[in-house]
Amino acid sequence: MSPELLFQQALNGLSFGALLFILAAGLSLVFGMMDVVNLAHGAFYMLGAYVALSVVQLTGSFWLALVAAPIALGALGLLLEPLLLRRLRGRHLDQVLLTIGVSLVIVDQIGLLWGREVRSLPFPPGLDGSVALIGGVYPVYRLFVIVFGIALAAAIAVIYRRTKLGMLIRAGVEDAEMLGALGVNTDRLFAITFAVGAALAGLAGVIAAPVFGLQPGMDVDALLYSLVVVVVGGLGTLGGAVAGSVLVGPVDTFGKVLFQEFALAVIFAIVALVLLFKPTGLLGRIRIAR
Amino acid sequence: MSSAVRWLAVAAVAIGLVAFPYWSAAWESSRFATTVLRDMLVFAIFALSLDILVGHAGLPSLGHAAFFGGGAYAAGIASQRLGTDQLPVTLGAAVLVAGVLALVIGMLVVRSEGIFFLMLTLALAQIVFAIAFQWTAVTGGSNGLAGVSRPTLMGTDLSAPDRMYVLVALTFLGVCLLVWSLMRSPYGRALTGVRENERRMRALGYDTARLKLSAFVVAGMIAGVAGALSAYSQRFVSPGDAGIGTSVQAFVMVLIGGAGTILGPVLGAGVVMYIQRVLSSAIPVSETVLGLVFIVFVLLAREGIVGLGRAAYARARAR
Amino acid sequence: MGGFSKKNDLAAKRGYTYRLTRRQLLVASSAAALAACAPAAVTPGASGSPSAAPGKELKIGQLLPFTGVYAELGNSMRRASELYFKLNDGRMANRPIKFIYEDDANVTATGVAKTQKFIDQDQVDVMMGVVPTPLAYAIRPAVHAAKMIFIDTNAGGNALTRDTADCKPACKSPYIFRSSFSSYQISYPIGDYLSAKGTKDWFLAYANYGFGTESAADFTTGVKKNGGSVTGNVAPPLANADFAPFVTQIKNQPTKNVYSFFSGADAVGFIKTWNQLGLPAAGYKMYGAGFLTEQDVLKEVKDLANGAVTSLFWAVELDNAENKKFVADFQKQYPLLPDVFAVQQYDGMRALDEALNSLGGDTTDKDKFSKALEDVAFKSPRGDFAFDKTTHNPIQDIYLREVKTTGGQTVNTILDKIAKVTDPGK
Repeated sequence: MSPELLFQQALNGLSFGALLFILAAGLSLVFGMMDVVNLAHGAFYMLGAYVALSVVQLTGSFWLALVAAPIALGALGLLLEPLLLRRLRGRHLDQVLLTIGVSLVIVDQIGLLWGREVRSLPFPPGLDGSVALIGGVYPVYRLFVIVFGIALAAAIAVIYRRTKLGMLIRAGVEDAEMLGALGVNTDRLFAITFAVGAALAGLAGVIAAPVFGLQPGMDVDALLYSLVVVVVGGLGTLGGAVAGSVLVGPVDTFGKVLFQEFALAVIFAIVALVLLFKPTGLLGRIRIAR
Repeated sequence: MSSAVRWLAVAAVAIGLVAFPYWSAAWESSRFATTVLRDMLVFAIFALSLDILVGHAGLPSLGHAAFFGGGAYAAGIASQRLGTDQLPVTLGAAVLVAGVLALVIGMLVVRSEGIFFLMLTLALAQIVFAIAFQWTAVTGGSNGLAGVSRPTLMGTDLSAPDRMYVLVALTFLGVCLLVWSLMRSPYGRALTGVRENERRMRALGYDTARLKLSAFVVAGMIAGVAGALSAYSQRFVSPGDAGIGTSVQAFVMVLIGGAGTILGPVLGAGVVMYIQRVLSSAIPVSETVLGLVFIVFVLLAREGIVGLGRAAYARARAR
Repeated sequence: MGGFSKKNDLAAKRGYTYRLTRRQLLVASSAAALAACAPAAVTPGASGSPSAAPGKELKIGQLLPFTGVYAELGNSMRRASELYFKLNDGRMANRPIKFIYEDDANVTATGVAKTQKFIDQDQVDVMMGVVPTPLAYAIRPAVHAAKMIFIDTNAGGNALTRDTADCKPACKSPYIFRSSFSSYQISYPIGDYLSAKGTKDWFLAYANYGFGTESAADFTTGVKKNGGSVTGNVAPPLANADFAPFVTQIKNQPTKNVYSFFSGADAVGFIKTWNQLGLPAAGYKMYGAGFLTEQDVLKEVKDLANGAVTSLFWAVELDNAENKKFVADFQKQYPLLPDVFAVQQYDGMRALDEALNSLGGDTTDKDKFSKALEDVAFKSPRGDFAFDKTTHNPIQDIYLREVKTTGGQTVNTILDKIAKVTDPGK
């Protein structure tokens, strides 16, 4: 592999990794806080992308969609958590089944409302060009995705460490029961957390749509990738989501190209290898069994 | 209901089940019903095997289709490469391959817990799927393995639909009996102990890792049997048989029907297959229906259909 | 995190009575629902009379995907069926048509089960449809054994209409016909044609699954026949999300002529990425099998596909009377342009109609039915249509098309024609 090729593939890997981070952050948050493996995460991502499609069709503005979709998904999350998930606190298998059910309904309804054709979103004006880089031209949008991912991680880190909400979330991730015992309304906190997780999934859907397009089945791919990132990186922590996406993005990119016959298996091989050597993920801490 | 009467009832149902194609022959849709019931029973076996892990040992495996698919491919490839249709050979190949696969994967996953266990089983099963999808020379690749012939047993050709059905029904009953007696045995109760409180079991001196691994292998081998039956029935194996969709389908069957029971996974298999194969012909929104069924069951009827039945029975008795 | 316990403290807190009432409601409603739905499938009763005599309903079982990744193809093919139905007053010969649609959802096991339903329960007179090749291969034995006339209106796997060793992965059958194409027909001729015209060095990019590898292999055969060569390839997995790594590989190798096989979402992703990474400016030329630039793709990528040269047996722009009428009729019925899948289905219906006319509507003798289908010949939107009598695959003209955008519309314009291509299967 020549240096130019290496550089370009590295950029591909990083931009893919950035997308994975935006996608996985919500899942990581919800798991860390509520111990819920939200298998509807891919469906939320898909819904975010389709909402963005409609917003862009109606208003022509990608940036409006970037704001509208997370809000819509956040509202949905705020609705679903008290309605469905709250009754299943501590019942992990049941939560799995519930979120599978939710995702089936959402995905089927998307197909009925928006149709099942292949759709795509154009790059937003201003970010639709390509810049000359080592080895050729590179789409500006993918560079934007890298920048956006870093900015989002920084923003989440700031909120996490410097705000009251962030402190509550950190405490909840550490020990939700204790937090409840200390008088914090954990019900409301969990609802907000789930809503934020859904909103982040929706945000990922909007950002990824111009790159990956929209089609039936995109929810399963997104879910699998986000599960891989979250588990590899170490659950429940922002650092884990970053570590996971920084690893999975480039490794998947290079792996698919270098080992073409095993392209389907690359990310799962990553999971298997990481978990075999670090059973709780790269940055996961051993948790005391409850 | 006294024990003798209960046994008689079970025996009657069993005989009725096995003889279904014969006593239903007068029905207009007998052949179709036989096919649907046959496929339900194959999946019931698969679901029962998964329940050993999920319901009894407390191991939430989302990669169980690796053994189903592995067994299916093994049975198909064995009949084609070894040039024999003898049931013990091809079925044996399925059980062997599924068992070895379960041993290897089991050793890798048995020390994980919770979501890590879930993800690891899923990841390893997806690797099996990827191999099935890409290894065209052996598995037929993405086009699947075609021309799988139905087995013969001691000279009897089991190709005819009714004979194939009887094979599946008898195997199903055998598996029910096996799982039932396994779970009543000290081994089965040790597994339940691991599910309830693994640390205590370890403190009591049980080698929980080995217990879990053995459960994994047993469950894998039974899944392999189901896979072989699927291969014979369809005369075809597709990579999807080892894929995540199949794993999730079985998982859902167990949860809906009621984990930890015999009747549960069987009923779950029946309900899910019914919705997918029969109801889907009548109603266009079956995925939404399926999703809503899951949600409603989980929220209101956690112990599944079996739990509902038990509660109703208990209330009826209490009156 | 501890094991998964079945205990439910929350339920206890909520109070048993609350759950009890809900449970009763649930039991009652599910029982009612199941009772309402149950009997349809398994009713004992008098056996139905065979529907094969003239004047009786003609039951056509259509196995199509309405959910899953190929859903739009299924919808398109249904539209074509309904159009044919409407334009022919719902009859073929003297028999009123009844469509029985089933969704295979792109799951092979489901498709196999629905095929059994067509054979055993619905007892259809003829079966049509099937989009994915693995499904076509999987149902071949059942269809052949039941002597069910099956008109494959999409699945293009070569083996379905060939004599293969051990019938693996499938083989032809007297009862199986194909109104679409064999992947050979859309891959070999373009390779042969272009390499004969002087383009010798090729790089391949194709989706790494049965259809893609088959197309790439047949193209390579065509190229090698004229002394050409393939210098390398990239093969992304099917339903690949990110094409950038693969297109980057293409950009960093010297062979500028790239033959691609992608369809649907993959084609959209590939073409968009091809442009984003500046391949046209760097002198790379895109060629492919027709699905790379079919309507569903062009609708999304529009002028990004300009200049791509692909081979297919049809294009919207094809200038013959039958096609002009078909496109007009289709647009009048639906606010859409037809795509190749609609044409395949429409031609399948037409072939069936012609055969039925020659049979006087009698579909009881399946061997006669098969012979009647073998003999059909008519003018279709794609040109002259006829089945190859040995293989039951269509003998058809293959067009070389180039994507052009004129007046805001992006379409495939016809460059040249390779006449009467037959699949080499015996």
